[in-house]
Amino acid sequence: MRQDDVSLDNCLKCSDCNTVCPMLAAHPGYPGPKHLGPELERLRREGLPCDSEWLEYCLGCHRCDLACPNQVNVSELIAAAKARHRKPFIRQVRDFWFARPGLLGKILSVAPAVTNAVLAAGAARFGMSRIMRITSERSFPPYAKPDLPSPQASLRASERLLFFPGCAIRYNQPELAKTVVALLQRNGFAPEISTAGCCGVPALANGDGQEARRRARSNVEAMDQAVENGATIVTACPSCGHMLKSGLAELLEDDPELEKRAKRIARHTYDLAELLMAQSDAGKLNTKFRKTDLQLAYHAPCHQLSQGIGRPWYHLLRQIPGVQIEDLDAGCCGMSGTFGFKEEKYPVSMAVGQRLFERIHEAAPKMVASECATCRMQIEHGAKVQAIHPAEVLLQAYER
Amino acid sequence: MTIMDSNRFDLIVVGAGLAGMTAAAAATERGLRVALVSSGFGMFVFGAGCIENRPLSKADRPELLEEAVGFFSEFTRQAGCPFRGAIASEVHLPTILGSFQTVSLAPFYLWSGAVSEAVRATVVGIDGLTSFDADFVTERLTNQAARLGLSTTYVARTISLPHEAGVTQSTLQFANRFDRDIEFRRTLLEALKPAARDADLIILPGLLGLRTGLEEISQLEQDLGCRLCELPTLPPSIPGLRLFHALDRRLRRIGVECFSGFPVTDLEFDGRRCVGVVTDTPARPRHLKAGSVILASGRFSGRLLGQSLSGFDGQLRPTDGDGRTIADNLHAVGALLSAQGGHGGNQRAILTGYRAGMLAAGQEDRYAAR
Repeated sequence: MRQDDVSLDNCLKCSDCNTVCPMLAAHPGYPGPKHLGPELERLRREGLPCDSEWLEYCLGCHRCDLACPNQVNVSELIAAAKARHRKPFIRQVRDFWFARPGLLGKILSVAPAVTNAVLAAGAARFGMSRIMRITSERSFPPYAKPDLPSPQASLRASERLLFFPGCAIRYNQPELAKTVVALLQRNGFAPEISTAGCCGVPALANGDGQEARRRARSNVEAMDQAVENGATIVTACPSCGHMLKSGLAELLEDDPELEKRAKRIARHTYDLAELLMAQSDAGKLNTKFRKTDLQLAYHAPCHQLSQGIGRPWYHLLRQIPGVQIEDLDAGCCGMSGTFGFKEEKYPVSMAVGQRLFERIHEAAPKMVASECATCRMQIEHGAKVQAIHPAEVLLQAYER
Repeated sequence: MTIMDSNRFDLIVVGAGLAGMTAAAAATERGLRVALVSSGFGMFVFGAGCIENRPLSKADRPELLEEAVGFFSEFTRQAGCPFRGAIASEVHLPTILGSFQTVSLAPFYLWSGAVSEAVRATVVGIDGLTSFDADFVTERLTNQAARLGLSTTYVARTISLPHEAGVTQSTLQFANRFDRDIEFRRTLLEALKPAARDADLIILPGLLGLRTGLEEISQLEQDLGCRLCELPTLPPSIPGLRLFHALDRRLRRIGVECFSGFPVTDLEFDGRRCVGVVTDTPARPRHLKAGSVILASGRFSGRLLGQSLSGFDGQLRPTDGDGRTIADNLHAVGALLSAQGGHGGNQRAILTGYRAGMLAAGQEDRYAAR
């Protein structure tokens, strides 16, 4: 955090941020983004001890940043304070692993059948709940061998497309990587799959600033050369996309050279739907869709909104003839990655999602489409409706 | 269906205040594909959107006010947050400072507070809510009413609502609970019942939900058997934000594409035409293109026009020092128009917002043809 940052004076105390905070709406005790961010930051910069357990409750949804009429990076201030926050030992150990889905995925996907059996066993879950404070209310996503499509033959440098899958796709839903690749191929691209690891969002969300910086550094190193050679990075997970576009450079601002490279990566990073929508705008989208009678609802993940790319999936899905789709526009789902798995946070995670669950029941869709893996988990858990990545809907709509 | 370019619109409106939202609604209803670009909640967080009868200049075309207000009233009705009143009316609404604000139209949840003869009003404070002092408001309103020669009586009453120990109470918290928790609505109803017993009107700080509207608030009035009037409080003003959310929902429903959270940094010109705006989005700026552009972001958007701005022509178009329009398809509305005077009491916002929306739709001087 830059000490000469003037953004604290930009805070006019208008409370716009508080009015959009999903945590404040669900949890009356939560002090809210205005207080945890710019207000306490003044004291923190004076070196006064004002650590608070409430920092753990920030969902990192960035809705406060979007609501601010004066461009204060409210959530960035909270994330920095979260990274200095002290936790009791058990939560420290648990959050160490939650901060590292890449490492966890590598270990758990060695023998996925064993992993999945253990993660589904009642006794194991009871033990995890009691000892590790991981709720037994939710099912874990199944793990799979990271069987991603193999890289394509090298293309002309200017046409290179590099797909950044992220941990949820790599270790839990590798078939989605195939869907993304097939969807891009249908549209004339020949993507390669990046070997870069976790984007760093889980580390930041779990208050592990050091790990987040390590991830940022490693990802810049992994993708820098490709971008310099003219590659475009594509993400299908909005949190990974958000991190590559906004987070990397922020995390690396102590190292001007790396920060510069991070910004170059950001400039060349596109959300999958953003890329396809650009194709559509240019009249180049493959629209050989079959007619369908699918009735869908669309939930925009917070990290999709924070990218400022409009509603590309909503508009893409609407191009499938016969599809009925409703934009739910019902706020944050409350899952926030690993947050909803924490024993002490499970109830409030569900309370945050209440508004979305109610909207889904009203809309009564056959399926909810949403591009965030943990939003989908929360929707299936809380609203008891099947949730699917919109890329799957689009690919299935193509004529065989 | 026709495939529409996600970055290309018939009209871009910059700013989601009353002026911008009215412009977006008017143009959309005339068949334009509209993008509304905004950042923050503007003045909604400070007030409630009441319309005051302030003097208009000839250039504003006051003869179109009635039609503009008619359009706006219908817009708010369809949004579930109807306004009451008319341009010709003049009522005094109580404020949180115990003074009266003179308005001609107001959202229904304020309108009931209009002072009139022989009304017995109870001003309700809430135990622990430090930002609202019912005794202070009551004393001042009583004096003010006497000065106006009115026989309205005000009585203060404090109610208690259950809350977690150690949690500071705020109107935002109450509003969130009102939105989410049917049990809280019942608790509030029971707490208000004694206050309603000998009263025609209950005046309370604005807290009846951020996402509520006519349905929910009328239900409460019906159950109480007493009219309700909210007072806009210190920021965040719940009645103002409720109006914002209602209008925002309505605009989305009629097909306006809303881009919120990223301010406009530049206007793009091609000769004498404004061809779009640039927004400050992560990773790279986003370019939105349009057939015409309406600036409605208050005094702050003045800088987008740069040094050359010196006035406005009869079609709300900014002009340079030589009296030439900066662009033929660029309009300015609301507070931006008043180089000398400040806020126009929302009347000019609605009038010019409506006019610009119609101008952009090529419906200039065909207003009544609606």
